[in-house]
Amino acid sequence: MNRRDFFKYGLGSAGVVVGGSIAGGTGDMDSVSQKSDFQHPWWVKQIKTPKLGIDEQIYSRFEARKNVFGSMVKYYGMENLRELNKRSREKTRKYYKEQKPGYRLEDRALADAAWVISRQGGLNRGTRSWTANFVRTPEERGVDKYRASPTEAAHLIKTAARYFGAATTGVAKLDPRHIHSKERGKTVSFETADEPYENDTNLVIPQKCQYAIAMTVLMPIDNIACSPTAISSAGSSIGYSRCEFLVAGLAEFIRGLGYTAIPSVNDLGSSVAIAVDAGLGELGRTNRLISPEFGPMVRLCKVLTDLPLALDKPIDFGLMEFCKVCRRCAESCPSGCISYEDEPSFKVKGEWNNPGHKAWFEDSPKCLAYWQESTSGCSNCIAVCPWTKKDKTMIHDMVKAASAKIPALDAFFNSMDKSFGYGRQKSAEKWWNTNHFEYGIDTTQGKE
Amino acid sequence: MKDTNGYWTFKIRKKPLYIWILRLAWVLWLVFWAEVALGSKAELETRAFFISLSVLFVSLFVGLMWWWIGLNKHKKQSK
Repeated sequence: MNRRDFFKYGLGSAGVVVGGSIAGGTGDMDSVSQKSDFQHPWWVKQIKTPKLGIDEQIYSRFEARKNVFGSMVKYYGMENLRELNKRSREKTRKYYKEQKPGYRLEDRALADAAWVISRQGGLNRGTRSWTANFVRTPEERGVDKYRASPTEAAHLIKTAARYFGAATTGVAKLDPRHIHSKERGKTVSFETADEPYENDTNLVIPQKCQYAIAMTVLMPIDNIACSPTAISSAGSSIGYSRCEFLVAGLAEFIRGLGYTAIPSVNDLGSSVAIAVDAGLGELGRTNRLISPEFGPMVRLCKVLTDLPLALDKPIDFGLMEFCKVCRRCAESCPSGCISYEDEPSFKVKGEWNNPGHKAWFEDSPKCLAYWQESTSGCSNCIAVCPWTKKDKTMIHDMVKAASAKIPALDAFFNSMDKSFGYGRQKSAEKWWNTNHFEYGIDTTQGKE
Repeated sequence: MKDTNGYWTFKIRKKPLYIWILRLAWVLWLVFWAEVALGSKAELETRAFFISLSVLFVSLFVGLMWWWIGLNKHKKQSK
């Protein structure tokens, strides 16, 4: 290139860059929201309906009591449960005596303490109250309620959610079948009402609440990598506590704009189903959400609202094909509760599964029993998943992109992941000597 | 590198285009594994760090040896 060419092409390129910046800078609100809202990577495809379909004839609202936490005695047997608890207590004492790393007093104290904020809320209780805790409504301020286009409102909500700690946020039209039919002994019903309320028999959601804001909260990967120990339990617990803060904050914010908001974590309905509809991830072999950016290293929560919001679409990043050949979660599961089957199906494993949707269904009572057996819970399936990565090197993004686009490489990627030592249990002892990020999470992950 | 009339003169031996492409690919390969090694270290992934570091050094060594052997061959032919 001679001097003339240099100036010709060089100045031309500079002109394009400057022109582009000016054009971008004078965009309307829609272009602003596109720029600043979280976007999935280029290899994530938006689709019309979630990949693992629903059987419209069968899928219906689930009674919360049927889940494994509500009916463990029924599923596992009272006598077996007593025996299990006894064994668990003996092991706990033994581990204290041996000062076994990950099971010592300080480890367990950390795990319990990390629940502290989560314990402030429950279904329509405390931080998860269905009515305003203290925020001033537009009426009280003497102004009109917030008015904007659904796109602008979605941008506003996503920005606020991020501010309160969401890693990713998506909006779905609320499918009432994702909401529990009964919970805490009360019927959850949809009625024409101005505000949500609770009486002796019912928990009433106003029919106008047609939007579900689904959010992921990152869990500290260094904790979960120590699974199964109390250090990994602390990772789950702090995830729940951060969910609590997030939904409480976002619900109050929405009320402050003059709209109804119903905050929820694991209560009220299936966060996984709502998050899949809202395009935050796909359903993996664990029958849990796997996000393209963070894998299963997330906790989920949601807020139902009547604020009109632009909807997001479900996504496909080739996870189903990957899970078919991977099985790392099933292999690492000490209780053997995760399915080894080649294909997802409609066949449930027991009453604890909500039938009518395609999935790799899990044997939940075995999982919960192992939580007791290990004396401190278990997150092995989350720790070993090849989609669980800190993104400090570009190879992870390259592999994820290639897996999404060329499923034939999935088996190779899985075996390479194993060979490189990803997913091996980390030392709970070393955890105490690591210089952690605040809350144990790198909030820049997936943002570049 | 030669000092002629107050200028440093570099001589680059003429090579077919495919050789330059191979050299570029080799450099990119090295940069890639260096990045993986550094990233794995930051991720506290010990095994991934050592594997990527090994690949990096082996690639560097093999590439340099290849280059050095070619250079010696050329020197002999020039004599």
